[in-house]
Amino acid sequence: MEQQVERLVTQLERRPAAAIRKALIRDKYLYLLLLPGLLLILLFRYVPMYGVVISFQDYNMYKGIGGSEWVGLYQFERLFRSPDFTEVLTNTIVISLYKLAASFSLPIILSLLLNELKSIVFKRFAQSIIYLPHFISWVIFSGIIITFLNPVDGMVNVIIRHFGGAPIDFLGDVRYFRSVIVLSDVYKEVGWGTIIYLAAIAGVNADLYEAARIDGANKLRQMWHVTLPAIRPVIIILVILSLANILEAGFQQIFLLYNALVYDVADIIDTYVYRVGIQGADYSYATAAGLFKSAVAMVLILTVNKIVKLTGQDGLW
Amino acid sequence: MSLTRGERVFMALNVLFFLILMAVMIYPFWYMIMGSISDSSLTADGGLFLLPAGFSISAYKVVFQNVSILSGFKVTIVTTALGTFIGTFCSAAMAYPLSKKRLVGSKFLSLLVLFTMLFSGGMIPSYLLVKQLHLIDTYWAMVLPATMSAWNIFVMIGFFRGIPDEVEEAAKIDGGNDLMVFFRIVLPLSKPVLSTVGLFIAVGYWNDFFSSVLYATDKNMWQLQMVLKDLISNTSAAITQAGISIGVQQEVNPFTVKMASIIVSSLPILVVYPFLQKHFVKGAMIGSIKG
Repeated sequence: MEQQVERLVTQLERRPAAAIRKALIRDKYLYLLLLPGLLLILLFRYVPMYGVVISFQDYNMYKGIGGSEWVGLYQFERLFRSPDFTEVLTNTIVISLYKLAASFSLPIILSLLLNELKSIVFKRFAQSIIYLPHFISWVIFSGIIITFLNPVDGMVNVIIRHFGGAPIDFLGDVRYFRSVIVLSDVYKEVGWGTIIYLAAIAGVNADLYEAARIDGANKLRQMWHVTLPAIRPVIIILVILSLANILEAGFQQIFLLYNALVYDVADIIDTYVYRVGIQGADYSYATAAGLFKSAVAMVLILTVNKIVKLTGQDGLW
Repeated sequence: MSLTRGERVFMALNVLFFLILMAVMIYPFWYMIMGSISDSSLTADGGLFLLPAGFSISAYKVVFQNVSILSGFKVTIVTTALGTFIGTFCSAAMAYPLSKKRLVGSKFLSLLVLFTMLFSGGMIPSYLLVKQLHLIDTYWAMVLPATMSAWNIFVMIGFFRGIPDEVEEAAKIDGGNDLMVFFRIVLPLSKPVLSTVGLFIAVGYWNDFFSSVLYATDKNMWQLQMVLKDLISNTSAAITQAGISIGVQQEVNPFTVKMASIIVSSLPILVVYPFLQKHFVKGAMIGSIKG
């Protein structure tokens, strides 16, 4: 096999066309295997990428991309002039940053504590339970949230009333909505977030703890001086990764929980694209908003990968 | 080394903390189960904390007589089965050739896959594509757009690279071609990665509702989660829906029906979860840092 490859490589250098043809024939079955997946990717990933050209058009469903009128950057001008879009962009970034702060710190703390559980059986059991909400769909989970926060007979408000407070409409009040979004996201995902940190902690040399103990370090100091520095590379990568996703504020969650009362603080780019594009049928304008998001996301991911590599760690690719 | 007093206190508090956390995580599910078997007349005013208020299974009768929930189950089971099979198979069939460095063009094709992680056309162009393909209100609209994910393909490429070349060469010396090697040797050896990726794809389809929002105008083509979403925001309509006798209607209220439908639709995942948890965790670890 090795020799074959070497022979092929030398052939490729000498007689490219013939060698390539030979390689194509030799690996014909491999190409056959590739085909169905490749077709699905080309059709459902690349055709929509081509479809973003309608953001430079005044797209008309009946005329199609070929027949619609080109309008240059008109849709983007509309977008950046629109006060709605400024608000939506702010909401997206603010909600994202709140979530980032929570999802950065809490899983680390939780995995440090999980790691200190001595009984393996109890540890496994605790993990199973705190991972569980991750697998429940947002539809079901939002149903739970709506039930618990209901201003009339939701459990939270029943308790508030019991202690003499006035009931609060958490999902219909701009003051509380974002907190509900961030807290419910933490509740659902914090356990799942510990998995990768636990794997990293498991790789820490146990002798280091022993040495720290002999030096008189208590649990807290051991965590601070041994565990945290050991898992720092993982922390850095995960934070940078979430920075790259700053325009993903959690579409499903917000779509299921928000309502017209709280659009001011809850509407994010994706929900805006859905309402303007699908419901309002303003396809070109909504595509421009979507394209803005995709483009920013791509630039962020490429930059982040570069930075990670510059810090001497393995990049994402 | 014996434990200091401080360490013992810390460990006790830590166990206590996790007991409380587990209770907090379990409570909503417990509450829903209790709510679903409560007697409807007693659930008003939040008369429900730890134990069911009375006992009645009429809410479950309403759920199982509800035509949309049954059709939602059908749509979701079909799309999950189709999507998981097509997604897992096509990803594996694509990853295997791409794992071979000798394949001419494999580098270019990998980049093509990688690029889908960086940039996407977004919601509107995808919607217009499905519309123009006349897939609206078909199972394919809910299956095909989401089948392939670059992440799954890269996880599989990583796994296939780990299979020793000698295994495949032995099969080739016995006269097998690449197709036979893939189906008879590589796939059977790849059960761990196939089940991990398959599970993630399956959960994705089971929990999907947005495909229905975009691609289903006909309520009979709604996925289970979409039916549920509708039910949660509009329960009384579901109760009065045709097919439910007046007698049963009087025994239930929106709250118990809501709880019962949530339980029924999350049951499949809750039942299989303990058996599959280790696969899920493995999958999360493979995918979390490097694709």
